[in-house]
Amino acid sequence: MPSAAERIRRAIAVVNAAADGAGDEEITPTEIAEAIRDCLELPEIGSIPNVRKYLGEALDATSDGMPADFVAMTLYAALGALQEGHSLN
Amino acid sequence: MRTAEGRGRTLDEAVDAALIELGETRRNVDVKVLRETPDETVVEVVVIDPEAATATAGTPANGKAETVRSLLEGLLKHMGVRATVQVRAGSDPITLDVSGRDLGALIGWRGETLRALQSVTNVMVGKHLDEGERVIVDVERYRQRREHTVREIALRAARQVKMTGDAITLDAMQAFERRAIHLALEGDPDVTSSSIGEEPERRVVVGPRKPAE
Repeated sequence: MPSAAERIRRAIAVVNAAADGAGDEEITPTEIAEAIRDCLELPEIGSIPNVRKYLGEALDATSDGMPADFVAMTLYAALGALQEGHSLN
Repeated sequence: MRTAEGRGRTLDEAVDAALIELGETRRNVDVKVLRETPDETVVEVVVIDPEAATATAGTPANGKAETVRSLLEGLLKHMGVRATVQVRAGSDPITLDVSGRDLGALIGWRGETLRALQSVTNVMVGKHLDEGERVIVDVERYRQRREHTVREIALRAARQVKMTGDAITLDAMQAFERRAIHLALEGDPDVTSSSIGEEPERRVVVGPRKPAE
């Protein structure tokens, strides 16, 4: 099973691809939301402060139609919180 | 503005030919690919004049570019990064070139940190931009060099596909790299490019173009 960090990185990659537009795929907000929900499903993130909060914010930002860069930045914050949490444990 | 046209079998050879003519290094030039065929690449190399670039950014007509430049410079300062930020002359969308010493950490593994920096920069400067407008951030011309590299890879793959008739799947790449490949091959009547897989493992497949296409 992919780790939380791998899932968040995947979600970031999906958002970045939507922002950069390679022209070879159409990424919908639904797909971005799915990638973020995949991260939220992991029990691992519940034990680390702020990760769930940032992921929730990223999901809300996607639903609200915020720019992809904003969603990406919030996911980077989640990834940072996760790594910080792991280094403290 | 000093420019030179370079020709070569590969992109690197063409750029090198122009650089020799200009007596410049890669760091100080902008490269524009004029023509790419399997046999020859033709580029136009333009020497960047830092004074001219700064002056362009400072004029009222480029107030927006200057605003985003100073915001990024401020961000880097807060991060403790000693670097200068310049607006790439004539760039559309606005491209910010970050240069300095030991900026490898700002680029990160396969440009991941650079990509994050670009996201943060776009969020910061968003209110100064028009709807849908974005800023590109480049560090030590990493992005530009990477685009050239993947174009080289694409042309090499296209040559191989033409020889063997078999499709080639390239390594996983970021969206801007895949786009560079699609653009490099779109005019080739013999090969076609498409992408497979899911992010971040999405890969370009270069294959023979079918007659019906």
